Amino acid sequence: MNKQMKLLAVAVAALAASSSFAQTAGTWMVRAGATTIAPQVNSGFLTAPDFLGGTKADVGSDTQLSGGVTYMLTDNVSVDVPLALPFKHKLYGDAALAGAGQVGEVQALPFVVFLQYRFLEASAKFRPYVGLGATYAYFFNESGSGKLTAATNPGGSPTKITVDSKFALTAQLGATVALNEKWFVDVFYAKSKLTTTTHFSTGQTMDIALDPVSYGVTVGYKF
Amino acid sequence: MNPFKSVPVALAAALLVAACGGGGDGDQANAVKFTSLVSFGDSLSDVGTYKVGAVAALGGGLYTVNGIAGAAGASPVPSKNWTALIAAQIGQAAPCSAQTGLEGDVNYGFSVPVTNHAGCLNYAQGGARVTNPVGPGNKLLGGDNATLGQLTVPVVTQISNHLTAVGGSFSGTELVTVMAGGNDIFLNLATIAPTVAALMGGGMDQTTATTTASTAAVTAMGTAGAQLAAYVKAQIVGKGAKYVAVVNVPDVSKTPFAYSKDAATQGLINTMSATFNAQLKAGLAGTAGVRLVDAYSDNRNQAANPASYALSDVTGTACNLGTPSPNALGSSLVCNTTNVNAGDVSRYLFADSVHPTPYGYKLLAQLVTKEMILAGWL
Repeated sequence: MNKQMKLLAVAVAALAASSSFAQTAGTWMVRAGATTIAPQVNSGFLTAPDFLGGTKADVGSDTQLSGGVTYMLTDNVSVDVPLALPFKHKLYGDAALAGAGQVGEVQALPFVVFLQYRFLEASAKFRPYVGLGATYAYFFNESGSGKLTAATNPGGSPTKITVDSKFALTAQLGATVALNEKWFVDVFYAKSKLTTTTHFSTGQTMDIALDPVSYGVTVGYKF
Repeated sequence: MNPFKSVPVALAAALLVAACGGGGDGDQANAVKFTSLVSFGDSLSDVGTYKVGAVAALGGGLYTVNGIAGAAGASPVPSKNWTALIAAQIGQAAPCSAQTGLEGDVNYGFSVPVTNHAGCLNYAQGGARVTNPVGPGNKLLGGDNATLGQLTVPVVTQISNHLTAVGGSFSGTELVTVMAGGNDIFLNLATIAPTVAALMGGGMDQTTATTTASTAAVTAMGTAGAQLAAYVKAQIVGKGAKYVAVVNVPDVSKTPFAYSKDAATQGLINTMSATFNAQLKAGLAGTAGVRLVDAYSDNRNQAANPASYALSDVTGTACNLGTPSPNALGSSLVCNTTNVNAGDVSRYLFADSVHPTPYGYKLLAQLVTKEMILAGWL
């Protein structure tokens, strides 16, 4: 958070009267800030063997340092590539394992390319935009826990999990506010349609609709 | 400044972070650091009380399919009692029987001196009841029981034996498991027929006699359940134990033993199981440190939805129980990989008429660990 505050301070310090906030064709923009990914989980049941009542999972949110690069194809159409440090999502037991607490963790790196449409004039101080993105959700560094092992293979070797990486479609709403002719603030909200399968080394699988929403604030710079 | 430089740098930084940290097994430590596992109960928790003499020679000793090698958690599922799996889960050595021996027929190799084993904390014995010292297989029942001569030290005595061995109290860092009641069902059920005959001999009509005898059997089960709860409270929790997993009695009406009987008897067995459990639950309600594990409901669900447990058979037996060959006792106590039924029996629920296969024990262990997780112990 400190880094963000410093960036903001720089941005504010750089505030100067300017008549040109243009995001015209050929403009490059880079930005840095923070993004939160909050999965909207709808978990399927663990496949057999499972407990009476069925076991489900819940997935926690995470916030990471993020940014991105935007290129204006025209005065209104842009291509945007968000970048972020890997998101760490905690996995929790649910349904038959509700109350178990954290049972694992997975890291996620969403690779996204957005095609965006930016409203209003290229020189407008405030420009809302919409975007549609192709996302490849890359899951890695999955880890289990003693609880996961105890529930699936008591006394045995640690139960490992893997989460399938998946392509997804992401819709986005956002806006930029020009602070001066070079600096701007960007906010966005996006929702992805993403269902994946988790595989357990004990033989079971679990389908989980993650359908994450993501939102973030960044400070950007135009070239 | 070349703005494009920052893009590959940021991406490289992200991938660098991605490449290190996290992953693997995660934290495998248990929430509570248990120092030992102490088990009280019957054949379902017995890890080898009778693995002596001819029983050992016949390749038996556990009430399941014996002789499948492997560590806890291995595949195929090794011959391990659920208490052995729990011991492995809490980082303890494989449990050993606190007492071994047999008081049966010397001519069959079933007479082996009773020996107490200091430091062995699994007191569970096949045939053990809650308070009655004479359970199935005890020599005092005569016939085949006298041939085998199981010790059947009841749970109440198992607890007092442990207290004597450790100086009168629990340390508070043990995991204590308690599971009993099945043998009270078998022997109370067995008393019904002679009771009916006696009542009819006294002039009572058959229907009234049957009802009277059945009611007495159910009442006796309720009493046993209440007694077990009382002993858990007074002699286990009351003596300092802080982590006690009490497993209720499975629905014995959902076993091959019960399936061989008529519907009315199956209904009675279900009532006996449920009555025992109701009294056990009521007696333990609100007792700090006690987690009641509902094997009864799980067992019923296994019977109704075997596929959700990856069970291939919930009515037959994995063991070929033909006596005297291939199974000298007609029991899983001497069942092993050489005298199981043909075909893949690895996912059968039952080894014999009442005891689980190794896979069945693993499912029971998972049920216990699940409750321990929810209790915050794992």
